[in-house]
Amino acid sequence: MDEDILQDFLVEATELVDQLNEQLVDLEHSPDDRDLLNAVFRGFHTIKGGAGFLGITPLIEVCHRAENVFDKIRNGEVEYDAVTADVILRAFDIISDAIVQLNDGQRDLPENDPGLLSELDALTKKQHAPDVAAADENMTDEPKLQLAEGLDPDGEITDDEFEALLNQRDSLEGAGAASESSEAGDSTPKVELTLDEGLDPDGEISDDEFEALLNQRDMLEMAAMDSEMPPEPEPKPVEEAIPAAVVPKKEPEPAPKKVATKAESSPAKAPSKNTAESTVRVDTKRLDEIMNLVGELVLVRNRLLTLRTTQGSSEDLSNAVANLDHVTTDLQTSVMKTRMQPVKKVFGRFPRVVRDLARKLGKEIDLELRGEETDLDKNLVEALADPLVHLVRNSVDHGIEMPEDRAQAGKPRKGTVILAAEQEGDHILLSITDDGKGMDPDVLRQKAVEKGMMDEMTANQLDDKSAFELIMSAGFSTADQISDISGRGVGMDVVKSMITKLNGSIDIHSVLGEGTRMSIRVPLTLAILPTLMVSFEEDNYAIPLTSVQEIFDFDPEKTNKIDGQMMVRLRDKSIPLYFLGEWLTPGQQKDSYAEDKVVIVSIGNQRVGLVVEQVNGQEEVVIKPLGMMLKKVPGYAGATITGNGSIALILDLPGVIHRFQY
Amino acid sequence: MDGQQEMSGNQLIDAGMDEDVSYLGPSARCVLFTLEDEIYGIHVKKIREVLRVGKIREVAGTPANVLGVINVRGVIVTVVDTRIIYGMPPKPVTDLSRIIIVEIDDENTVGMMVDFVMEVKDIPESKFEALSSTKENASRYIQGIAHYQDNVIILVDVDNMLTQLE
Repeated sequence: MDEDILQDFLVEATELVDQLNEQLVDLEHSPDDRDLLNAVFRGFHTIKGGAGFLGITPLIEVCHRAENVFDKIRNGEVEYDAVTADVILRAFDIISDAIVQLNDGQRDLPENDPGLLSELDALTKKQHAPDVAAADENMTDEPKLQLAEGLDPDGEITDDEFEALLNQRDSLEGAGAASESSEAGDSTPKVELTLDEGLDPDGEISDDEFEALLNQRDMLEMAAMDSEMPPEPEPKPVEEAIPAAVVPKKEPEPAPKKVATKAESSPAKAPSKNTAESTVRVDTKRLDEIMNLVGELVLVRNRLLTLRTTQGSSEDLSNAVANLDHVTTDLQTSVMKTRMQPVKKVFGRFPRVVRDLARKLGKEIDLELRGEETDLDKNLVEALADPLVHLVRNSVDHGIEMPEDRAQAGKPRKGTVILAAEQEGDHILLSITDDGKGMDPDVLRQKAVEKGMMDEMTANQLDDKSAFELIMSAGFSTADQISDISGRGVGMDVVKSMITKLNGSIDIHSVLGEGTRMSIRVPLTLAILPTLMVSFEEDNYAIPLTSVQEIFDFDPEKTNKIDGQMMVRLRDKSIPLYFLGEWLTPGQQKDSYAEDKVVIVSIGNQRVGLVVEQVNGQEEVVIKPLGMMLKKVPGYAGATITGNGSIALILDLPGVIHRFQY
Repeated sequence: MDGQQEMSGNQLIDAGMDEDVSYLGPSARCVLFTLEDEIYGIHVKKIREVLRVGKIREVAGTPANVLGVINVRGVIVTVVDTRIIYGMPPKPVTDLSRIIIVEIDDENTVGMMVDFVMEVKDIPESKFEALSSTKENASRYIQGIAHYQDNVIILVDVDNMLTQLE
């Protein structure tokens, strides 16, 4: 298997799989949408083509059958109902898994489950007299289709014609297989494989070539069948110059003009040899913007250089510096934008998640996606996927009631889950809203007492909001306990800690009987972090600002030692105090902390006070990794370079607390 | 031009005729540095640059052989005390001390604090010999030694050393 071609294929296939994931669920809602149906068909077809070219048999088998099913659906012979969708989605999962495995470097895919294959086959035969498989295939062999594109010499292929071509090819495959080799439809994958081996790509194939080859393979099939010849790799030499066919050095290209047109109309092209994980697609407009700004930067530098030699007035200098300030700020924004991706990347998977879960639970649920085009840092997009899946599953599982219960409560049988994203200043707000049964704060309070997390009095003092937040405490939400109260929450504590890690926050709002809304706020980017700068003598440390609650002077009067732990009283509450200096400046004896400051931070649902020597104020810092040798040292999230060029270490609060508590 | 080329060719052969026959064979270009009185060498392809010692920011909680981190044009680089790695007592930084920035892979670099950087030298590969006996921990970081021009040069096994330190 040629690695380069495989990588190209994977980039394209990954994209197609993402699209199909959404399209398949959409199709179930609107089975009459021709465009959608065609898009799905094309998706499977393209994957099959690529897989066929590379000889990935398990993929071909599944794709081919799925394609057949959709062909039947297109011809109105089979309906895309929930049952069909179940099978198709299972097939889709196989394809999606296979792509993931290939992306992970696995090259030997497991054999397909014959059960699924025959189920897929059964779908294509579902609504026909089960005569012979060949006869079945021939059903698609509609004369008008063949006529429509039997010859299309003008080379201009419209979308419809393209569709027709695809159709024709399939029916020809069927016909050819049936009449020539007297084999049933099942042999079609074999036909393609023979061709692939015949063509034998030997390395060094450009993207365009790859496309062309794929298409050419299809055309070959067609041509071969058309002229009632066995599909032999004895192609006619190129008759006309085709952009794609100019490059190759070896095999004769059997591509008629049509092929080139088809290649060009093919939408998704693999942009690079890299795996999708480590690449970002950037609009050239954004690159131009950056280029322009870099140009500006050079101009400012030149001005400054001139000023240095000519000793210009301080006004000139401050003008130049002000200009520099502007340009760098703009440049920073522009560069950051290149890392941005629409949140659609994460949202795309949810229709499927909700559909499957709803079907399993016997619920009726509409998922509404809003603000999919909101841009978000690439790393965040990836990091948010898991917590969101968790929350959406919870909404579907625990939030939305069974249709009968909803009807009884006077609500529409169909529940609604809304997944929304919007930008809010320098933050992104993501919310998951359901119109389900909501949560009962009293039940939660009671549960907290039963679980021994607090006594009854404390529990009763909690306001509703704090009561809802209980579901995010570790140990509160195990699956068993949660399912018999109204709550949600398998592993909500995990969600919370994941969001905290992203310097985000999560907020719960719920009205009993009406629904629940979970709001997640995360910074636009992970690269820039607002921090509170503190220091010990010369050494600066940065504390993520999202965790900082308040700062006050250290007052020995207000502290006391309880069970060996220093505590500070703050508005009738005792908060543990950790003297950061003990860790950060070991060996230094300090007589008095009277000059020090206390920074109250919240981590998860605990609050602690950190005692520092000086508080220097807020600063937005660029996070730099500490390098692989220090990555594992607990307590640091990275480092940054401050205005005067020195290094400040960024504290990782959970790690810091861990240091002091254990 | 031709004559010149010929001449330089002759020179090479002449050099080969000399005592130092191995000039003809492949050689490794190394940066030589010292710790105490010993000479060490690191292949230049592993080295990104050599820096004077500026301010090193200490990082609490790191192992003893980590001196801290420095800012190399916006990249945070960890600096290790090469003396401690080779089992020598630490010594204060002097004017001669240097930090050799060594590449681990495309993305990671580590700074090695050394006493003194001598020069860059081509050492004939035929002069290298593997260490016969492996004694102590330190030998893990020695790729081999070379006897060259009356000196013993200890070849640093960078890859091994830095993966061990990780």
